[in-house]
Amino acid sequence: MSAVVERSPAARDLAPAARRGALRRLARLRWGVGAAAVMLAIVGAALLAPWVSPHDPLAVDIRHRLVPPAWMEGGTTRHLLGTDQVGRDLLARVIYGGRVSLVIGVFAVLISATLGVLGGLAAGYFGGRTDAVVMTLLNVMLSFPFVLLALAVIAVLGPSLVNMIFVLGVADWPLYARVIRAETLAIREREFITAGRALGMSHARLMFGQIFPNLVSLIVVIATLQVARVIILESFLSFLGLGIQPPTPAWGNMLGEGRVYMLNSWWIAAFPGLAIFVTTLVINLMGNALRDWLDPHMKL
Amino acid sequence: MSRSRLAMLLLLALVLALPDAPAAQTKDDTVVYAFQSDVDSWDPPNSVLREAIILGYQVFDHLAVRDLKTGRVGPNLATSWRALDETTWEVKLRKGVRFHDGYPFTAAAVKATFDRVLDPKNKLTARGNHAKIKSVEIVDDSTVRFKTDGPYPLFVERLTAQVMQSDKVIKEKGHQWMQENPIGTGPYKLVRWNRKQEHLLVRNDDYWGAKPAFKYVRVRIIPETATQIAELISGGVDVIKAVPPDQMDVIDKSGQARTSTSPILRTAMLQLDQAARSGPNPFTDRRVRQAANMAVDMDAIIKYVLNGLGDRVATGVNPMAFGFDPSLKPYKPDLAAAKKLLAAAGYPNGFEVRFRTGLAIVEPGVQQTNDAIVADLAKAGIVAKQNLMGDVGPYVAQVKEGKAGPMFNWSWGYYSVFDADAILYDVFKCGESYSYYCNKELDDLIQAGRSTLDPKKRTEIYVKAQRLLFDDAAYIYKWGLRGVWGISNRVEYAAPRDEIDRMFIVTPRRK
Amino acid sequence: MRGYAAGQLVQLVVVVIGISMLAFAILYVVGDPVLLLLPQNAGKEEFERYRRLLGLDQPLYVQYWKFASRAVRGDFGNSWYGDVPAFGLVLQRMPPTIYLTLAGLGVALLIALPLGILAALQRHSFVDNLCTALAVAGQAMPIFWLGIMLIIVFAVRLKALPASGYGTWQHFVMPAFTLGAFLAPITMRLVRAGVIEVMNMEYIKTARAKGVGERMVVIKHAFRNACIPVITVLGLQFGQLLGGAIVTETVFAWPGVATLTVESIRNQDFPVVQAAVVLLALIIVVVNLCVDLLVGFIDPRIRVRA
Repeated sequence: MSAVVERSPAARDLAPAARRGALRRLARLRWGVGAAAVMLAIVGAALLAPWVSPHDPLAVDIRHRLVPPAWMEGGTTRHLLGTDQVGRDLLARVIYGGRVSLVIGVFAVLISATLGVLGGLAAGYFGGRTDAVVMTLLNVMLSFPFVLLALAVIAVLGPSLVNMIFVLGVADWPLYARVIRAETLAIREREFITAGRALGMSHARLMFGQIFPNLVSLIVVIATLQVARVIILESFLSFLGLGIQPPTPAWGNMLGEGRVYMLNSWWIAAFPGLAIFVTTLVINLMGNALRDWLDPHMKL
Repeated sequence: MSRSRLAMLLLLALVLALPDAPAAQTKDDTVVYAFQSDVDSWDPPNSVLREAIILGYQVFDHLAVRDLKTGRVGPNLATSWRALDETTWEVKLRKGVRFHDGYPFTAAAVKATFDRVLDPKNKLTARGNHAKIKSVEIVDDSTVRFKTDGPYPLFVERLTAQVMQSDKVIKEKGHQWMQENPIGTGPYKLVRWNRKQEHLLVRNDDYWGAKPAFKYVRVRIIPETATQIAELISGGVDVIKAVPPDQMDVIDKSGQARTSTSPILRTAMLQLDQAARSGPNPFTDRRVRQAANMAVDMDAIIKYVLNGLGDRVATGVNPMAFGFDPSLKPYKPDLAAAKKLLAAAGYPNGFEVRFRTGLAIVEPGVQQTNDAIVADLAKAGIVAKQNLMGDVGPYVAQVKEGKAGPMFNWSWGYYSVFDADAILYDVFKCGESYSYYCNKELDDLIQAGRSTLDPKKRTEIYVKAQRLLFDDAAYIYKWGLRGVWGISNRVEYAAPRDEIDRMFIVTPRRK
Repeated sequence: MRGYAAGQLVQLVVVVIGISMLAFAILYVVGDPVLLLLPQNAGKEEFERYRRLLGLDQPLYVQYWKFASRAVRGDFGNSWYGDVPAFGLVLQRMPPTIYLTLAGLGVALLIALPLGILAALQRHSFVDNLCTALAVAGQAMPIFWLGIMLIIVFAVRLKALPASGYGTWQHFVMPAFTLGAFLAPITMRLVRAGVIEVMNMEYIKTARAKGVGERMVVIKHAFRNACIPVITVLGLQFGQLLGGAIVTETVFAWPGVATLTVESIRNQDFPVVQAAVVLLALIIVVVNLCVDLLVGFIDPRIRVRA
């Protein structure tokens, strides 16, 4: 087969423009790529904490409390970022704290994404009564000061890691459900779905086999951005004393404990704060890049 | 309704709800004092909160008060008292004193106050303080007699814990009204109370005692410690209490304010559930409790974590309390001995327990000292899993219900009664709400200490009790607290040892 | 328009019933409230008496009905601490929170509108990237950190503003900015997206073709339509705003309803929690209803779609 596919003249004219668009997208992506590299380093440090951490994050040394970072007067290279209020190494705690914060972020998002996608798909696909029920539930949730309900639940069940993931996970599902429902509504009317239905495909197969794949990129983008939000929320719960229990380090509770020290030993709050800041920043950049890459027209 | 009319109405509603203009008070005639949390009521006998006691001191008077310099209890609304026999006290009252509403203070007020507190139907929290009083009789307008249920050595001490309220108000206005309207005989009167925001007090110019220097007192509610300190060093607040030891340098270096510390009548400990109120646990074994006491280097923690702000104690009895035994030396840190004891008790590899933590409002720095103590305990093999319960209300409720075991933060302020009995009875006696310890021998000693008025005999009894508590290592004993106050450089004031701030003794500082 | 409003009203009623059920359920999440109310040494008789007094011995639906019928009259019972009507307590603390929220919203719009429009008009320019970076940074900032930093700088170091409290306009500056910074990033993104979408529409092109000045185009056509998604989402963000308000109020000792509620949750003072939650939820519902009606008013197409 040696047939040469002739390009139409029109297509040839369009090519440079398309190439320029792709270039621009790539240029915008380089931020995303850079962010992904930083994120990889953060995740890597968290995963490999026992090997990369210079100290045991729980090792208390009350004779060397509140040691400033190495570059400041009174700092030592033994504790690069200094020590906290009971003499624990801050670098070690920031590294280990990442584990907890990331676990909370990822698992809470998995829960809310699952709930939201199931609810949104069902509402959008079946419509009618199912839609009404889901939407009412969703409206109640959105109108209810959910932050308060979450606080109440944690105050009662106790602030364990699992409870926290659960509460933060349940809190966020309406966000996914709304978007997914709207998209599903649009996709449902497209030809390939009507065709599938005519062919007698089951609801489950239509929903998960046909519609769902079209939603993946959307879900991934929202989920990425939500991880950052959940990490911030964890620090918020810690601020109220309902976060991860000491002495286990998590960025949120380190920041919460360190806030009293902001007037003198500022580093205790500054470094976990910086960790939260950089991580959420990087995740947001990645999310934005991902959106541009997957679907520039996505409305988010 | 037309849209513009609706908009006008909305606007009007918003404007009406705008905050009041500040009262006609200047900075110079006002002293500003901060609380971390507000009171639930202006009726001190109906509140468990320290803040209610403090506010009570500004507006009400007590029959007797403690002199902050000598630490002794002296006359106030009562001019003198004496025991007529083992169970009768006669108290003479100050004449010519009037309540804020002009109504005279007489024996009728004393009787009405105590009758109200003692009536179980009223369910006032102060009842427990005075349960030993059987009745109050009026002899004449300025003399009352108290009948007690057996000898009551703490009678005079406890007079400092009861505000005098007006018989007229109790009878005519009633309980509900009294929750928000304090009518006392004290140096200040309440002008207004914006819940969870502030209290404004104005000087009572007809006060029978020394005239306060400042015309107004503003008590502001500021929940965040960092914000309180910022207010103090930027000139917004004059007096704050419960400053964390680590923040003292911020205040002292600010040039705007200084710190003042004082030993206070409050002992901190980690209560262990010897009585198994929360269920079976390792601490029912004396050897385990002793091991826990030996595992922790409390002196190092006081020195390094609290910057020396703590007075090591051998038991729960505070050095300032009557009956304290200074010859009893605390446990020495001894890791090897602790491990041996644990092994002997059947825990060669240690064990894990839940450690209920909290109460940072009453014990500043408790989180830091907890982390240090947990680290020390872990070296001996006792793994204490911290579990924070943020607020005082539910925390205390849990302790009361017996659900706080097997190990929890606790500190005891003696209801400001400087006597060993005030901690032994509430925190160590079998079956009491706050006690997780049960020992018949100790209960007998406590009872004996309550049944005589002779100070020498009582001292002997309490020395015995402290020996027993030390040997049996009821709880993990920590230290007597030292309170840290932050005080603005524009006023003269010093830390009060009974944790009761008195704004009427604050004076402007001469420049 | 009338049919649309009626539909919204029906939905509103359903939502309100749902909210009241959730609020009612709060009491049961924690187990037996009598245990919390009575001292430990209370006898079994007193226990039973209290249960009867509170009506806790009756079937759930009867209890709910009682709760709901009392709640409609604004009666949530007395606070368990301090013996004052819970509803009155909540109502008294409502204005400071409303002012704080409005001020925060104002600050957010003040930041977000110009920046969002600017970013949209000069898409992918340096300004746009800068704005995006600002927004991302703003979202990554825990707000209590921001609040305390503001206090340190403006109250402690510069002594320009009161560190905390409530009363004069100076007291509003830092809390409003803190809350505004919390809300500004999301608002800005929405404004930007809204304007970009609108600028590509036919009628804008038409307007331009007709020779309408660029400034006029932006202000009169683009902005007005870009408002729709912004308003909608801001309505939905109201609940989120509450989370921000809790922190802001705590840091600045602001006597609002958000801190009252958190405090009551932690003290397990359920009448107050219920009153606050229901009232706040109602406000959110009403705000959203207004938003829906407003949007329907601006853009008639939405009425049809719904």
